Amino acid sequence: MNLWRMVATRIALGIVTLLLVSAVIYLVVGVLPGDIAVEVLGRNSTAQARHLFDLRLHLNEPLWDRYAQWLGGFVRGHFGESITTGSPVRALVMPALGASARLSAYALVLYVPITLTMALIGAVWSGRGPDSVTSTLTLIGLSLPDFVIGTILIVMFAVVVHWFPAIAGTGAQGFWATLRAITLPAATLAAVMSAYSARMLRSSLIEVLQSQFIRTATLKGTSRWRVIFRHALPNAIVPTLNVTALNLTYLIGGVVVVEVVFSYPGLGQLLVNSIAIRDIPVVEAATLIASGIYIAANVFSDVVAVLVTPRLRYARPAR
Amino acid sequence: MATIAPFQAGLRASRRRRLARFRAAVPSTFWVGAVTLLLFLLIALTANLWAPYGYADIAGVPIQNPGWSHLLGTDLLGRDVFSRVMLGTAPVVLLSLGSTAVSTLVGALLGVVLALRRGVADALAMRAFEVLISIPFLILGLVLIAAVGVANGGGSWLLVAVVVLIYLPRTTQVVRSAALGLVESDFVAVARARGESRRSIVVRELLPNLSGVALVEFGVRAGYAPILISSLAFLGFGAQPPSPQWGVMISENRSTFASGNVWAVLGPSIALALLVTAINFVTDGVARYLDRSTVRVP
Repeated sequence: MNLWRMVATRIALGIVTLLLVSAVIYLVVGVLPGDIAVEVLGRNSTAQARHLFDLRLHLNEPLWDRYAQWLGGFVRGHFGESITTGSPVRALVMPALGASARLSAYALVLYVPITLTMALIGAVWSGRGPDSVTSTLTLIGLSLPDFVIGTILIVMFAVVVHWFPAIAGTGAQGFWATLRAITLPAATLAAVMSAYSARMLRSSLIEVLQSQFIRTATLKGTSRWRVIFRHALPNAIVPTLNVTALNLTYLIGGVVVVEVVFSYPGLGQLLVNSIAIRDIPVVEAATLIASGIYIAANVFSDVVAVLVTPRLRYARPAR
Repeated sequence: MATIAPFQAGLRASRRRRLARFRAAVPSTFWVGAVTLLLFLLIALTANLWAPYGYADIAGVPIQNPGWSHLLGTDLLGRDVFSRVMLGTAPVVLLSLGSTAVSTLVGALLGVVLALRRGVADALAMRAFEVLISIPFLILGLVLIAAVGVANGGGSWLLVAVVVLIYLPRTTQVVRSAALGLVESDFVAVARARGESRRSIVVRELLPNLSGVALVEFGVRAGYAPILISSLAFLGFGAQPPSPQWGVMISENRSTFASGNVWAVLGPSIALALLVTAINFVTDGVARYLDRSTVRVP
């Protein structure tokens, strides 16, 4: 009971935060740039054209009304219209969101086996050859930004050997072709995420492998791999679950860069392009959606943290 | 003089002991990182004195392989890659360390004051920071730069402001939660009873006890700042061409990477990786000595 109340409180707080975030986004994106009509139509535009532009975007109304209308429309699923193309923002944002979701899901699917393999190799052969290989790899993953990892993967797997296409976006037909097209960007995201969690899991595995019950299991004749998978791994995985939840929040920013590297038509690419051409309604919608997912991921990671560490159910976590 | 000498000797001995303890606590990677970081600082401060070419100079035929005249070859416009990597060190290193230093100093002070005062101001500030943290940081940076105008995006002050705005809420939260424990402790109560002013409690009692937290916080954030700044530049929202900032170099030469323009991409990438690794090694060593975690919420 206590647990569910805590989860409900956390979700309610998340919704309040999202409302405040929407106000901040609307203020920063919609108000700071000054005269949007001049920006979009150019300095030589007539006063009448600018006035019509303002009317079309409701820029002549008070800020508070505009915000309320925008938010009300957003809740009802009407995101406004793109300044540059005039098409509904929803028609631009929704396919992009779907594309980003597919990419992220694939990245998470790759992330689990990569993390497990790297951590197991590092823990089982700790301090020896295989460990130093995986440790070096994860260290590189930690210190290189995602756009460099992506570029290196392109050269290795799209240019040197033609296993995967370098551009992820266009015209792949069918499930397997699409999967092949987005393998490199997904692998880039997975590499960045698993670099951190593999180090985490390796060190907690090493710690668990030194404990008494592992010795007992080994001494009673359990096979080495059974000891590792049945006895050590379940006990070492909890801190890694927390890191995985944090990785979810990395993913939302990481996807922006990786989509640009691979020209993948996702939400991040849409956001970057829309910022460049100052398409304010699209920027607002994309930013708000990304923030909503980010907040949801944070709520989720908090709930996971409470579920896997019963201690947190009784004491309020330190803020 | 004679009366002070033993005291000074004692001080010196205790300093030597502390140094010995530090040496025992930090792994060898700390020293590797420290030396590398010093080299980067040296390059950042002196590169414009000895770099063979200027960052915008057309030094030869485009896309040459490394050789004696061009240590890392030339990029797609024929500029000397080695010179550009060296000259690009200053903006990356100084912007990263500088902006992180500003956000850590302000964040530490703010965190302590908020923890000491509590009340409405504290609640409001923490709520506001939570809202800022709830926007993915890269997207927040992009939107801020877009709001000011992409054309002004290369300005160092704008980049510093963006990094500070991203880091400040996070640092303040970390320092504040560490300070909350200290505020209740006896030595603060004693200082209050002694009639120390609030400023004196902050500066003389609380801040010295939080320097470890702030130092590790600085290291962790500084280790990510080069990636953040380069990512913004890579996406076209940070430094603009012909700046030699590493993110710009990678973004400019990436399209011709496959057709042999390898070093113009690898050069800045390796420099970036070395810098980040060096900062992380140093931070890791300090954190181990202070027995603190380097795990952070993004």
